Amino acid sequence: MSPFILLAATQSDGQIAQIARTFGVDWQHLGAQIISFSIVCAVLYKFAYRRILVMLEQRRQQIAMGIANAEKIKAELDKTESQRLEVIAQAHTQGARFIEEARAAAARVQQEETKKAIAAAEQIMKKAYEAAAQDHDRMLAELKREVGNLVVQATTTVTGKILTAEDQRRLAEETSKQIAV
Amino acid sequence: MKITKKAKREAKQLYRFCLLKGLLDENRARQVVQRVVATGERDCLPILTHFLRLVKLDRAQHTATVESATLLPADLQTKVQTELAHRYGLGLTTAFAQRTELIGGMRIQVGCDVYDGSVRAGLEALKKSF
Repeated sequence: MSPFILLAATQSDGQIAQIARTFGVDWQHLGAQIISFSIVCAVLYKFAYRRILVMLEQRRQQIAMGIANAEKIKAELDKTESQRLEVIAQAHTQGARFIEEARAAAARVQQEETKKAIAAAEQIMKKAYEAAAQDHDRMLAELKREVGNLVVQATTTVTGKILTAEDQRRLAEETSKQIAV
Repeated sequence: MKITKKAKREAKQLYRFCLLKGLLDENRARQVVQRVVATGERDCLPILTHFLRLVKLDRAQHTATVESATLLPADLQTKVQTELAHRYGLGLTTAFAQRTELIGGMRIQVGCDVYDGSVRAGLEALKKSF
C-alpha cells in the first residue's frame, strides 16, 4: 500500500481506520481469523489443554501424595527407630535382669548343692560310725563267744577230774528233785 | 506209701483195743497184728504202719531213760524209779545208762519231757549265754 493511500484513508475514516489501512488490516479477514482462532482455542482447550491440565492435576496430586507418603514414611521410620531404640533399651534391661536372676539362681543352686554335699558327707560319716560301732559290737560278741568257749572247754576238762562220787550223787539227787516238783 | 484217714482211724481203734487199764498190752498188740496180717486186706499195710507209730509213741511215753556220768547207786536208782512212777504212774519202764560226756549229774527223758541236771547241760547253757 502506498503512503498516499494511507494518507487518503486517514483523511476520510479517522485515525484508527487510517492506521489500520496503514498496516494493511482487513476487517473481514481479521474477524474470520479471530473466529477461527477462537474455535481452534476452544477445540484445543476442550480436547488438549483440559486433558493436559487433568493430567497435570493428577501428577500434582501424585506428587503431593508421594511427598505426603514420604513424610509419612519418614514419620514411620522415626517411630520405628524410636521403637527400636526402646526395644533395645528394654532388651538391655531385660538381659541385665536375666543375668542377675541367673547369677542369683546359680548362687542358690551352688548353696543347695553345697548343703546337699554337706548332708551327704554327714550321712556317710554317720554310716561309717554306725558300721564301726556294729563291727565293734560284732567283734566284742565274737570275743565274748570265744572266751565263753574257752571257759567252757576249760571247765569241761577240769570239772570231770574234780567231781567226786559225792558230788556226782548230789548232782543226781538235784535232778531227781526236779521230778518231784 | 500214703496212709489214708480211714487207715489212721482203724489203726487208732486197734490201738485202743490193745490198751488194758490205760496201759498197752503187748500180747493184745501181737494178736492184733497177727489178725490184721491174716485178713490180708488191701489196707493192712497202712493200718499196721500207723499202728506201729502209735505203739512207738506209747512206748516212748512209758519209757524213762536215765543217763548219768557215773552209774547211779542202787538206792538212788530206786528213788528215781519211785519218783518217776509217782509222777507218770505205773507201767513206766526205766532204763539206766552211763554217759561220761555228761561230766556230772543226771539226765532223765520220758517221752517229750526232759530233766537235764547234768554239768554238760549247764555248760551248754553257759556257752549259749555268751
